[in-house]
Amino acid sequence: MSDRVAITGLGVVSPCGLKKETFWANLRKCESFVDEIKRFDANLYPSRIAGQVHELDHYSHVSGRLVKKIDVFSHMALVASEQAIKDAGMDLEKIDKDRVGVFMGNAIGGWLFAETELRDMYIEGREGISPYMASAWFPAAPQGQVTIYYGFKGYSKTIVADKASSALSLWYGSKVIAQDKNDFVLAGGMEAPITPYALLSANTYGSLSKNNLNPKTAYKPYDLDRDGFVLGEGSGIVILEKESKAKGRGIPIYGFIKGIGFSSDGYHYSRYAPASDDLEYAIKECLKDAKWNREDIDYICLDGEATVVGDYLETQALKNVFGEGIKNITLSAPKSIYGNLLGAQSALDLIVTLFSMKNSTVIPTINQVMGDPYCDLDYTPNKLKEREINKALIIARGRGGINVVLAIEKE
Amino acid sequence: MGLKEEALGIISKTLDIKESEIKEDQKLYDSIGVDSTEMVELVVTFNKHFGIKIETNEITKFSTLNEIVGVIEKKVNG
Repeated sequence: MSDRVAITGLGVVSPCGLKKETFWANLRKCESFVDEIKRFDANLYPSRIAGQVHELDHYSHVSGRLVKKIDVFSHMALVASEQAIKDAGMDLEKIDKDRVGVFMGNAIGGWLFAETELRDMYIEGREGISPYMASAWFPAAPQGQVTIYYGFKGYSKTIVADKASSALSLWYGSKVIAQDKNDFVLAGGMEAPITPYALLSANTYGSLSKNNLNPKTAYKPYDLDRDGFVLGEGSGIVILEKESKAKGRGIPIYGFIKGIGFSSDGYHYSRYAPASDDLEYAIKECLKDAKWNREDIDYICLDGEATVVGDYLETQALKNVFGEGIKNITLSAPKSIYGNLLGAQSALDLIVTLFSMKNSTVIPTINQVMGDPYCDLDYTPNKLKEREINKALIIARGRGGINVVLAIEKE
Repeated sequence: MGLKEEALGIISKTLDIKESEIKEDQKLYDSIGVDSTEMVELVVTFNKHFGIKIETNEITKFSTLNEIVGVIEKKVNG
């Protein structure tokens, strides 16, 4: 068997936990972690609910001197990276830092820092703006901060592809390991969209739930009563290395990245194409890349946009690719519990899937009350489900039709 | 409060470090690993606080606290 790309460390900063153990324990409760936004006055926003991270400073190892130079999305990435490095038992004194890379994705950059400083610039003039503005807001900032913090100098990249950003960064990171360009890769994503301007932009996009009076039940993918997804913030980072090296180090392996399929709808700058062909193509390409048959799949972690079009197209694609066989595959969208973290979402989907594999337990799609006749698959409603999972797919769809599907295998 | 103590307080507060970490005759780069962007922030803060106009190249990360105080003193009295 070829030397697979192993996942050996996990780091989580999420609305339902800032450690992997808490994250999993809270997911198992099958209760929503979505709340009203109170950190600024969001009363006039059409959607003003989100999955939020409240205790980042409490869990942070980062000095105050550095925190004031960076946006919160970099801070989240530093905290998740530290957890992942420790979890993988990476000895920072002994490893060759020239062969450690960082592949991270986000969709929008660091807006809290940017909008605050731009306000100061317009009020106070050019000397009112922080000199760190230039290096704090842009999407590659977290990658830069993590590499500087640890002195990692290996091949690294930042990927910006809306809600598929971290799915692509996981795959690019795994390619770099497979091609032996790095010994280790920190891969994943981070997003901090709960800021006055970023929330406004996300509202303009128009797929967010406006069910503000019922935050706990607002995010309900595939339900007839859905009205869009709920934003979340956080970061998920994993450590990738070759299977042989991980086994040589005697470190436990969570799972393997086996393949990817991707496609673009090529239809509209923000909307999906009205047919599911392109998503189907991405799923088929992923199966081909992983050298798996359709009947091999045990679990699919769904995109679950909770829009009429998004849910219908995803359901249709699954039916068309797997036919009757889809009934033998367990499906769910665990993100219904804590919100969609945009560019960081697939990294959390991966971590949930790895825990589900380890514990033979599927986290459900919550808030399933009214069935939709056009979305009539079993999406594992509301309750945990026992299921042994050896092979899984993760679906990520970005704005404008960026379709990415990852294949994940258990040890 | 003397000018040196004021400058020391500003550096400590601006960079979020302890005053005891800053040695009077040691370059800021050597004592606290200050970088060029932090120096820009310090210069801007000095200018606002003392109502003076120091150019960013007049003091650098290779300056000591005593040298910085000397430049500020000259501007304030000049």
